[in-house]
Amino acid sequence: MSSKNDRTFDFKNVEELQTFITPLGKIMPAKCTGLSGREQRRLKTAIKMARQLALLSYGVQ
Amino acid sequence: MTNEIHKYQAMFLLDNEEVRKGFNQAKDWVQTCLEKHNIDVKVLRLWGERALAYPIGGRKRATYLLGWLEASGDAVNEAKREMYLVGPAFRLVFLRTEEIPAEEMTFGIESLEDSAVEIPDEIEEEMAEMPAEEEKTDEEPAEKEADSSDEPEAVAAGEDNKEN
Repeated sequence: MSSKNDRTFDFKNVEELQTFITPLGKIMPAKCTGLSGREQRRLKTAIKMARQLALLSYGVQ
Repeated sequence: MTNEIHKYQAMFLLDNEEVRKGFNQAKDWVQTCLEKHNIDVKVLRLWGERALAYPIGGRKRATYLLGWLEASGDAVNEAKREMYLVGPAFRLVFLRTEEIPAEEMTFGIESLEDSAVEIPDEIEEEMAEMPAEEEKTDEEPAEKEADSSDEPEAVAAGEDNKEN
C-alpha cells in the first residue's frame, strides 16, 4: 500500500540528491536519512540514475 | 516483454561536437530514431548544457535532452540498441512513469535557434584552470631545492658516522 505522503525523488534534482550523499560519495543509510524503506529505495534508484547520467559522481568529487 | 504501451521519461546525453554543428540537427536525429521504432514522442526539449560529474569517453561537458514518450518495452529496447551504436547520443536513460506532467506537455517538441545553445569550449575551460596549476608548479622547485640542500647534509652525517 502506498501512502500519499510518501516522498518521491527526481534524478534531475541533483541538489536535493546531494543532501543524501556522504562526502565520500556513498548513499546515506536509512537511519541517517530518516526515510522509510520504500522512500529509501526510491532515493537509491534516483541517485543511481543520476550517477549513470554523470549528474553525480560515483566517488569523491 | 509485452506490447503494452507505457509512458516513459527519457534523458539523452548529446555529444557537444555534434550539437555545435546544429542543435536541431542532433535533436531531429534522436526524434527520427525514436519514431522509427514506433515510439510516440510527446515532448523533446533541451534540459541544459553542463559539465559532467566524471569524464565519459574524454568528454567533460555534454548537452542534455529530455523527452517524454509513449511506447512499448520492445520499442524502447530496440531504440536504445540503435542509439548506443550510432548517432549523437552517447548515453541514455529511459524511466517508466505513471503520467506525463502537464507543465512538460506545454514544451512539446522544442526547436531552438543554434545560437540559443551556448557551448563553452573545453580547451578554454582548461586554459582558465591553468593559473592555479602554475602556482603549484612554482612552489615545487623551491621544495626540491630545499630537499636537495638537505641531502648532502644527510650524506655528510652518514659519512661522519662511518668514520666514527
